[in-house]
Amino acid sequence: MAEMDDADDLGLPPSHGGGSGSKSAGDKMFSLKKWNAVAMWSWDVECDTCAICRVQVMDACLRCQAENKQEDCVVVWGECNHSFHNCCMSLWVKQNNRCPLCQQDWVVQRIGK
Amino acid sequence: MLTLASKLKRDDGVKSGRSSNTAPESTRRVSIRDRLLVKEVAELEANLPSTCKVNFPDVNKLHYFQLTVTPDEGYYQGGKFQFEIDVPEAYNMVPPRVKCLTRIWHPNITETGEICLSLLREHSIDGTGWAPTRTLKDVVWGLNSLFTDLLNFDDPLNIEAAEHHLRDKEDFRTKVQDFIKRYGR
Ligand SMILES: [Zn+2]
Ligand SMILES: [Zn+2]
Ligand SMILES: [Zn+2]
Repeated sequence: MAEMDDADDLGLPPSHGGGSGSKSAGDKMFSLKKWNAVAMWSWDVECDTCAICRVQVMDACLRCQAENKQEDCVVVWGECNHSFHNCCMSLWVKQNNRCPLCQQDWVVQRIGK
Repeated sequence: MLTLASKLKRDDGVKSGRSSNTAPESTRRVSIRDRLLVKEVAELEANLPSTCKVNFPDVNKLHYFQLTVTPDEGYYQGGKFQFEIDVPEAYNMVPPRVKCLTRIWHPNITETGEICLSLLREHSIDGTGWAPTRTLKDVVWGLNSLFTDLLNFDDPLNIEAAEHHLRDKEDFRTKVQDFIKRYGR
């Protein structure tokens, strides 16, 4: 997954040649020093919002944002394929060991980013 | 797929989140409940049933408000029923606490204001109780429906009222309207 910090490096590559510039060939207006190719893959994560704290699961949960612990915040998937922040879900299962979206018994399928 | 625009927007969100975290401890101690409520109250006010009004006596306390329901059909038509909604600090792991302030003759509300509405139940064995996926909008729509769709004589909290209805529907209606004249206008 691409890190947010890469966003500043994203941009259009300089156009090659072209243009009716009066500059001499050797005097380029700019040169490309660094190009960060950012590959992204996702399962439509853009609408994957944690139904408990209503923050996207790929971002830190509301609690971790408030406590500045963004780095420790991971995602948990249940066997029902619903995903939440692990922080949010572990608070809820103490009350009721069911997925709050589909009401099935909550069984962790995996935890990760 | 994420587009660059949405990615940058998210990045912005994260950045502003970070900068607010550098604020002094005292000012950034906004509870999780209050953060949730900012969005939920806006959502509630944008989707209020036509028979409902909400009133926040203190705009700085989104966790405490009153709801007035004026049913436009059924036994309770013509009445005006006030509820008090208090959202505890542990929200949204626990449901809001709701009390009916208007004395009422109702199978699911006692004369002292206790309410039996499944989504307000903190511990439920089936899936009908509180869940953190629910919001204030669901609570208000639920309370509003206690006068119509969710009016339930089969699983009453005020057993006397439910039995009254079973015995004599017209007399039940008369008593409901009598309560409205006395307490609920
Ligand atoms: Zn969450
Ligand atoms: Zn977290
Ligand atoms: Zn589920």
